[in-house]
Amino acid sequence: MKLFSRSMLFVISTSLLFACSDGGESGGSAEPSRVQAFMADPAAVERGEALFIGTCAGYCHTLTRTDTDALFLFDCQWKHGGKDEEIFNTVTVGIPNTRMVGFGANFPEGEDDLWKIIAYLKTNQEPCA
Amino acid sequence: MGNQAISAIQWLALLLLLVVLAACSEQSSDTEVTDTMVEVIENVEEDPEIDAALLARQPTTNHWLNDQPIGTGLGPVTVENLASGTSNPEQWLHYGGDYRNFRHSPITELNPDSIGELQIAWLFPTGTDGQFAMSPIVYDGIMYVTTSYNHLMALNAETGEMYWRYDHPQPEDLRVCCGPANRGAAIHGDQIIMSTLDAHLLSFDRFTGELLWDLEIQEHADGFSATAAPLIVKNMVIIGTAGGEYGIRGHFDAYDLNTRERVWRVYTVPAAGEPGVETWSGDSWKTGGAPTWSVGAYDAATNTVMWTTGNPAPDWNGDSRLGDNLYSDSVLAVDADTGEYKWHFQFTPHDVWDYDGNTTIFQVDINFEGRERQALVQANRNGYFYILDRVTGEFLSATPYVEQLNWSTMDENGRPVVNPEAVPSSAADFRVCPGILGGMNGSWAGAINPDLGLAFIPTVENCMTMRKGISVFVKGQTYMGGSPMDSDAAKGEDYGHLSAIDINTGEVKWRYMDNSPLKAGVVSTAGGVVISGSPSGKIFGLNAETGEELWTFNAGGGIRSQPVVYQVNGDTYLAIGAGDNSRTSAVPSGGQLMVFKLKDGQF
Repeated sequence: MKLFSRSMLFVISTSLLFACSDGGESGGSAEPSRVQAFMADPAAVERGEALFIGTCAGYCHTLTRTDTDALFLFDCQWKHGGKDEEIFNTVTVGIPNTRMVGFGANFPEGEDDLWKIIAYLKTNQEPCA
Repeated sequence: MGNQAISAIQWLALLLLLVVLAACSEQSSDTEVTDTMVEVIENVEEDPEIDAALLARQPTTNHWLNDQPIGTGLGPVTVENLASGTSNPEQWLHYGGDYRNFRHSPITELNPDSIGELQIAWLFPTGTDGQFAMSPIVYDGIMYVTTSYNHLMALNAETGEMYWRYDHPQPEDLRVCCGPANRGAAIHGDQIIMSTLDAHLLSFDRFTGELLWDLEIQEHADGFSATAAPLIVKNMVIIGTAGGEYGIRGHFDAYDLNTRERVWRVYTVPAAGEPGVETWSGDSWKTGGAPTWSVGAYDAATNTVMWTTGNPAPDWNGDSRLGDNLYSDSVLAVDADTGEYKWHFQFTPHDVWDYDGNTTIFQVDINFEGRERQALVQANRNGYFYILDRVTGEFLSATPYVEQLNWSTMDENGRPVVNPEAVPSSAADFRVCPGILGGMNGSWAGAINPDLGLAFIPTVENCMTMRKGISVFVKGQTYMGGSPMDSDAAKGEDYGHLSAIDINTGEVKWRYMDNSPLKAGVVSTAGGVVISGSPSGKIFGLNAETGEELWTFNAGGGIRSQPVVYQVNGDTYLAIGAGDNSRTSAVPSGGQLMVFKLKDGQF
């Protein structure tokens, strides 16, 4: 619930920001990236959250800091790259020699589902140093 | 310039040569330390100029063998030995003590009057962290102990002297949902058998520690692991696997200990065309879970193996697997020789709470409502204490043994009537009791004192909200469909108790309360005490009849193991593992086997 409330606040603030800026990760492009677009769409963030809860959380990427071998994904520390495309690639291909098997193209609604998961993660990041 | 350039190239070549030599000198995992190697190490220590990188290449081994005579001269463990259970106080041959899983010793010397005289006899460090969850095997004056990450050691049961040791090399991509536990070895003939996190079954010579054979139960990368102590029945070793969080299709297997051939495999999820598959919508049976990650029971009188199963997959979203999802969260009874189906009872049809049915099953002969019954009793993770007829599987009763249970009521046939509010949803706004750990959990084992007719059940009280999500199946990846959310533990409101339950009625006779959820096993003695431990590191001994606390000892680290008692040369010992990483404590983790001895004036 705490995460959800925070995500709603972030969606609103992000939407306002997008209204005044050209977006961050799109490298100065006038168009927001797919992730940024989804971050501004509460329904997309909600689907990303449902996918994350049902597929990534549970006994792996927990919602609060827990001592597991799976990384905590809300602390800005991206071991395998924190750009949207890097996260996309990590989830798609997986990490060799770990239990993080790549999901390939298995998401029910294709690539959009994974971009929405990333939008959910980026929406709920703790403040980065 | 030219000379300097040549010199630089020479240095580069020399460096390259050293790197190649270093790579070639990597020792294989089973290399033994030789005198020559030791000499090299000594020289290195004497020369401060030697690169630290060279020190890092010290030869190592994962296998220490024994070539000295050990033991007291007992022969191989026989079928008769195994059937005798704990009746010989110098032996502890099964995870559950005997085929009934009573974890009850005939030792009377350890009783309410003497328990206060327990003193440390010896300690043994494991060098591992994570759950130290084992139940030791004791035979012939030797104790066989497993640790997390599948280290296996043979120790002198009287002194703690180590005879041999094996550290199983693990792949880096283990499919382990819930920690690197191993719950103990099994013994048969002169073999010690251990299951592994990478879903293998290993056999060792009990005297030398030599690896006799290694068979793969399943490919671990497909989502399988094995953490249970195997069960020996006749000339077979029976073992199940974990993997319910990875969408495996569960099974338990029997292997011939002499030929190493698989005798039978019982799938816990029926395939297309088999009875029960109609309880799975679509093709969901293919990824149905129902893992078999704890030890079962064997009834020689009916030649029946009974085995329990875990949650259907995915855990918290049942939309893709409509139906009862047989035989998840069940007990299955099969013919010991053939694996042929005899009966089943399902505790939690269409589970969406992760209520694995893998807790200890006890074979008890009871008087139920005025009639003698050969019964099977179990404190299930779903919060009910079940009494079944173990010959037919008939449901007799189900009684809540936890203090908080709100996910269902129970009808007269033993089928839960689900509280719709408790079904996980996207809102996750209902505090479900019990939470995902239970109740009791198959990670630890209760005990029974047959003279008192009491089952001793270490229990978790930790309710939690659960959220349903969208699940995606990819082979070898987790497949859970949701997640636990807010828990009592996160608010510091969880707690535990060891409850004594009347095996004839399911009635709770007494509770021993603890501030922490209890997650360790129990041992019971004919002298009338029960001993267990807490995640806080407290080992405690209770009066079996009343629950009165008689003795405590601060072990320093959390207790997750299954204690045993035994005798050597007439002296009485208690062995218990401590040092679990509780994940909530700042106390450093690291396993420590602690062996206590009743005071005899010789300390």
